Amino acid sequence: MSYRLQEQPFEWIDRSKTVNIEVEGRPMRGFEGDTISSTMLANGVIHMGRSFKYHRIRGPFTFANHDINALFENADKTHVRGDVELAEDGLKLKGANTIGGIAKDKFRHLSLLSRFLVVGFYYKGLFKPRFLRPFYERIIRESAGLGKVDLNWRGGRKSKRYGFCDVLVIGAGPAGMAAAKAAAESGAQVMLVDENAQIGGSLDYQYANDASVADTRSELKEAVLNNENIEVHTSSVAVGWYTDNWMPINTPNGIIKVRAEQVVMATGLFEQPSIFHKNDVPGVMMASAAQRMIARYAIKPCEVAAMVVANEDGYRAALDLLKAGVKINAIADLEDHEDRGDLAKQVKAQGVQIYDHHGIYEVEGKDRVTSATLCPLNASGELDTSRKTTVPCDGVMMSVGWAPATHMLFQCKADIKYDATIGQFRAQSLPEGMFAAGRVNGVFDIKDQIADGAGAGQQAAAAAKGESADVQRPEPTKVRQSHEYPIFSHPKAKNFLDYDEDIQLKDYINAAKEGFDNIELIKRFSTNGMGPSQGKHSNMNGIRILAKHTGKSIDETGSTTARPMFHPTPVGHLGGRRFRAERVTPMQESHVAHKAVFMEAGAWLRPEYYDTEATRTESIHAEVNAVRTGLGIIDVSTLGKIEVFGPDAPEVMDRICTMRMSNMKIGMTRYALVVDEAGVITDDGVVVRYADDHFYYTTTTGSSDPAFRTLQKQILEWGLKAEAVNRTGQLQAMNLAGPLARQKLAPLTDIDLSEEAFPYLAARTGTMYGKPVTLARVGFVGELGYEIHCLSGDAAEIWDNLLRDCADAGIRPFGVEAQRLLRLEKGHVIVTQDTDGLTNPYEAGMPWAVHMKKDFFIGKRSLEILKPLQARKLMGFMFPESYSGGTPKECHLLIKDGELNGRITSVSYSPTFNRYLGLAYVDDMNANVGDAVNVRLDDGALVEAELVSLPFYDPEGKRQTCDVDGTEEKVA
Amino acid sequence: MKVIDCPHIGKRPMSEFVYGHEVREMPKPSEASDKEWADYVFSRDGAPGVKKEWWHHVPSGIWFVFERDTLTDKFIRLVDIAEVQYEL
Amino acid sequence: MPYRLLKYAFKNPEELGDPRYFDQPEKLKSSYDVVIIGGGGHGLACAYYLARDFGITNVAVLEQGYVGGGNTGRNTTIVRSNYLTPEGVKFYDESLKLYLDLSDDLDINLMYSTRGHFTLAHSDSAMRTSRWRAETNKHLGIDSEVVDRQFIKNEVPYLDLDCGGTHPIMGALYHGPGAVARHDAVAWGYGRAANVRGVEIHQKTQVTGIKTNDDGTKVVGVETNRGFVQAGKVISMVAGSSPRITSMVGLKTPIEIFPLQACVTEPVKPFMDTIIVSGSLHCYVSQSSRGEMVMGASADPQELHSTRSSFDFVEGLTDQMMDLLPFTGGLRLMRQWAGMCDMTPDFAPIMGKTPIDNFYLDGGWGTWGFKATPVSGKTMAYTVANDKVHDLIKPFGLDRFDTYKLVGEKGAASVGH
Repeated sequence: MSYRLQEQPFEWIDRSKTVNIEVEGRPMRGFEGDTISSTMLANGVIHMGRSFKYHRIRGPFTFANHDINALFENADKTHVRGDVELAEDGLKLKGANTIGGIAKDKFRHLSLLSRFLVVGFYYKGLFKPRFLRPFYERIIRESAGLGKVDLNWRGGRKSKRYGFCDVLVIGAGPAGMAAAKAAAESGAQVMLVDENAQIGGSLDYQYANDASVADTRSELKEAVLNNENIEVHTSSVAVGWYTDNWMPINTPNGIIKVRAEQVVMATGLFEQPSIFHKNDVPGVMMASAAQRMIARYAIKPCEVAAMVVANEDGYRAALDLLKAGVKINAIADLEDHEDRGDLAKQVKAQGVQIYDHHGIYEVEGKDRVTSATLCPLNASGELDTSRKTTVPCDGVMMSVGWAPATHMLFQCKADIKYDATIGQFRAQSLPEGMFAAGRVNGVFDIKDQIADGAGAGQQAAAAAKGESADVQRPEPTKVRQSHEYPIFSHPKAKNFLDYDEDIQLKDYINAAKEGFDNIELIKRFSTNGMGPSQGKHSNMNGIRILAKHTGKSIDETGSTTARPMFHPTPVGHLGGRRFRAERVTPMQESHVAHKAVFMEAGAWLRPEYYDTEATRTESIHAEVNAVRTGLGIIDVSTLGKIEVFGPDAPEVMDRICTMRMSNMKIGMTRYALVVDEAGVITDDGVVVRYADDHFYYTTTTGSSDPAFRTLQKQILEWGLKAEAVNRTGQLQAMNLAGPLARQKLAPLTDIDLSEEAFPYLAARTGTMYGKPVTLARVGFVGELGYEIHCLSGDAAEIWDNLLRDCADAGIRPFGVEAQRLLRLEKGHVIVTQDTDGLTNPYEAGMPWAVHMKKDFFIGKRSLEILKPLQARKLMGFMFPESYSGGTPKECHLLIKDGELNGRITSVSYSPTFNRYLGLAYVDDMNANVGDAVNVRLDDGALVEAELVSLPFYDPEGKRQTCDVDGTEEKVA
Repeated sequence: MKVIDCPHIGKRPMSEFVYGHEVREMPKPSEASDKEWADYVFSRDGAPGVKKEWWHHVPSGIWFVFERDTLTDKFIRLVDIAEVQYEL
Repeated sequence: MPYRLLKYAFKNPEELGDPRYFDQPEKLKSSYDVVIIGGGGHGLACAYYLARDFGITNVAVLEQGYVGGGNTGRNTTIVRSNYLTPEGVKFYDESLKLYLDLSDDLDINLMYSTRGHFTLAHSDSAMRTSRWRAETNKHLGIDSEVVDRQFIKNEVPYLDLDCGGTHPIMGALYHGPGAVARHDAVAWGYGRAANVRGVEIHQKTQVTGIKTNDDGTKVVGVETNRGFVQAGKVISMVAGSSPRITSMVGLKTPIEIFPLQACVTEPVKPFMDTIIVSGSLHCYVSQSSRGEMVMGASADPQELHSTRSSFDFVEGLTDQMMDLLPFTGGLRLMRQWAGMCDMTPDFAPIMGKTPIDNFYLDGGWGTWGFKATPVSGKTMAYTVANDKVHDLIKPFGLDRFDTYKLVGEKGAASVGH
């Protein structure tokens, strides 16, 4: 049996193109433009899924993505929404959340247990006796969730882009189209967004047969589609409203992040169900769903209908049904059809039996509705079940009220109150930059809706220009559109409030009775509105039920917070295209050519070591040996490089660093240690003094930006005459180190490298290979060495030339690992490795770096307090050369008498000393060099190490100041 | 993304700024007792209200001080740096 | 069918309701022995232990909104004890132990579920911190270890260890006892158990002021939107509202408020048994008992006393999440929300007595309040009942900042849920 009707005036299907899909093995044919659900209906299939909790059979309900009755999955997608996703040729689907298919779902009889599964049953049971808890947990987990995730699936990332417009209109129904048209005609750049596949909204389904709007319809559509100032996005949803009209629009091709000057919310309404026994049986649906089926897809919703109505829209739907050839056996009007106006009269004139002051009490039918039972309403609004009228039908249409799509109006903090006249929430006032129009604004008459939209569009366009438009907007309707309480209890329950979550009326009321009589609490306890529909078809009725139960008004009861997303939004769209910044230095090509193995240091890629020997360790040790006995070079371009100028520059440096910098001689360097206000070490580096009023200083990799910001801020705050410039990207640096450094470097530069002219810790400017450079004699790795700072554009050339010209000295590029080992042998700390979030310079063994005689530096006052409180100290330790046990690692603990006594921060096997050595915090302040400490290894074994004085290597510091010519040392 | 409207550089998205925390005047280190100093270092006026705060605009490299209501997230005015300068 | 649910089958469905979890008293009394400000997990737990362990029942819990509506109902429900500092480890381990018995204690299924907790390490320094934590944990008898890529691959085969190509995973800190629980139920269970013992729970009751004696050294009562009540002792247990309350008594603390956001996907069939945290990528994820994937990131960078959502949060989080779990690109994000996090400089809470007599503070929870709910309630109840700070919370006193005796938990922080 096909449900397909003859051609409808505004149908979305292209009958010239067929599509074939397969649902649970059953082939189905539809037309291009059909959704999955409409294709199924066209093929006579109404069973579209199983419900979440009781696995009840479900059919089309809102037909608008306001429920998840029609939820499918396939190899590519976890949750396919049948009501709105297109039937693409070749698509194969099966029902989500079923075992064995929609028809033969293993859990299809679960609703027989619903008597036990009271609201919050999982809180009340399923945990005693305790030994069964894992069993219960497994049951809960097996029944949780909807679709099955394919863990091997990849993809989904879609590029995002920015969008800008003067006026963003959400919703392309009559009000939205009119708003877009009016705004564009006022000169505004407009973006019009609608979640449906086509613009038109209710004009094309609820008003499809209304001749009085025929001209307006074509005029509006024409204007919207042909105005070059209007950018239209269909099948696109506003994800939510975020601060300052930041509105991401999720389109099929990815998200457009729109910064809208002005927004017009023409989001319309969600139709709300009447709650009666078995209101979820397939065939029971919203009247607007039936209208969508007819107008968009030419689907006949049923053969014989019964209806429950409480507004004029219900009669408009009845006329559409009659026109589509549906017989209407009965209409239960919750009030009096005489008050509904002309449309009700037209329906009656066509011979439809109307039962005034009646509601639907229950329906019959297992797989599809077979009859509806009507009862009269008594004075207190309850059904008199002693007088039943049962009519046969295969469809029940509900038109008892609406909930406005106010989510984003709530999000932008509009003042929203319940309008009892209309029976819906409505914004009383709106924040700047925000307008509401049409039915979401309480304006119902179709001509008024259009006028309201046009008015809002004009106002928004004017506001975008900083002007105001004097526009007379229509008043909200004075006719009630939504019934106060279309909700009826039944001894057998199965009267559903929330279809996603299978919440029945009694569940919700019992939740209130149990103390959850607050709108947010009841949501959490009953789970009403917590499913994928997020309350679109259940929140309003929930509020009505709770208000009645507590005897409070709708406003007093309030609504749950409307959070983004408006519709669930694909993670791949939100995340967008993957982009990771990766920074490399100009020497990258050389590093690669020398077989560098890279490590990530923040965004930087740095050579960890050069893979030249058989193993990683051998490669690193070869690099260490080169520096100790010959020559090595390391790329240290990732260091932060900051220059400070100005008459107050010495004062700035004094205040920033713990050491005094103002007494430095020009052309000298000094170690720079930086602590924060609490006295905690945050950074270290080297300061060079170029002139009285000109300093250059390096920071650790990754600290350049925060260090620069702090410097700038302090200069401002203290009102000092100085300027800071962050030159990290402009300058590069390399450290040429080893006993042959001076010998090899001297011929390559015009700077005099003699000990007299260029002593240890001095810095000189000049040229190398004709390029301007600053050389600084620093000793981080413990050998004679020159840090070469140069312009970025020259760096690669200098580096390559050095490798070439020092090849005869056996120069080796060395990586971060070798540098770590070299500095460890020298006892130098690495900030963040040998310090933690609380380390002060005293603990780190650097009291020499703190010049307390200075008037001030950041952290000084705290260090005065901290000094006598010192409770740990960083010390060197060594394992015996004969040690052959497990590997000591960084962050292994020191143990004394079974208690914690400290922690290793750095440890390595030293090829220079042929043993493990390292740095550790020792909690025992009485510990001395020569004492033994116990280290606990991975396996728990305690092994002994000896505390030794620092540095391990060259304690007298001779090597940084001497040349080594062959094997003979020449002390300067 | 929130927008910060700055008289000097116009409307810029908040993502271009680094938050530099509340403007706080340091007590004279030589005059403050240990407890007073610790209070300055660690304690904050954590209650919501209109506060002067440092904001660093990264692309232009400029520090600004804005008054912001930490309850509503509204930026109220740009503060002249001279208002927050102090001498040691 | 479990017996406990059978009883419901023989009742008229319209008359099914169990007794109220918490009464809604019409009026505030004029005086209470103890007033607890804040009806979240901590406040209700404290009320419960005051009543149960110390017989103190003339207690009012004042909640400005609804029970459990603050950070209790907004967090991502992770329970663990693999902290960095010995004081942190001992404190959270006691909490975890209390959680294990809590469903029975409170006669409500908290759906406490031991899942195992991975803190992924994507760098040398993260590996070092992992080892530091593991070693400290093991020393204190906590099940915690550093594991390698192969272990992670076996346990979480669907995780992309190469992380999309940058910052590959080098190893992880694995904590077997890591668990999740139903956050709301914790508040409701404590609330009901306290209520049954005589504690009054007043919702929609906002504290507007705190009254002290003339020289401000002693608290005597609280002003509320429903009138003044005298109080023998007042405890502030309000997390994100802590500075508002402490400012009422002129008390400055290091607590600053930053929004912390989270989000969930649509519910899908459970596939994920573990809790995964990545400090380097600033994200964490677990799957709820409803099947939703619950995800979060680090706190927003600037002070803000608001629970507004931001789009940047979901953009950043989902981008990183797809690096870890590439198949999530096809799932849909359903809802996002935010809580107000009460952060301290050393990432440890502030608990116990204050310089003001009869005024007690429990705050500064940062991102770790939920997992501390039972132990906070218990130790604060002890502290208030005896006017003597419980041993477990001695390291967390407000006075530690005067003496620079900070807790070193910051080293493990960044994202440590």
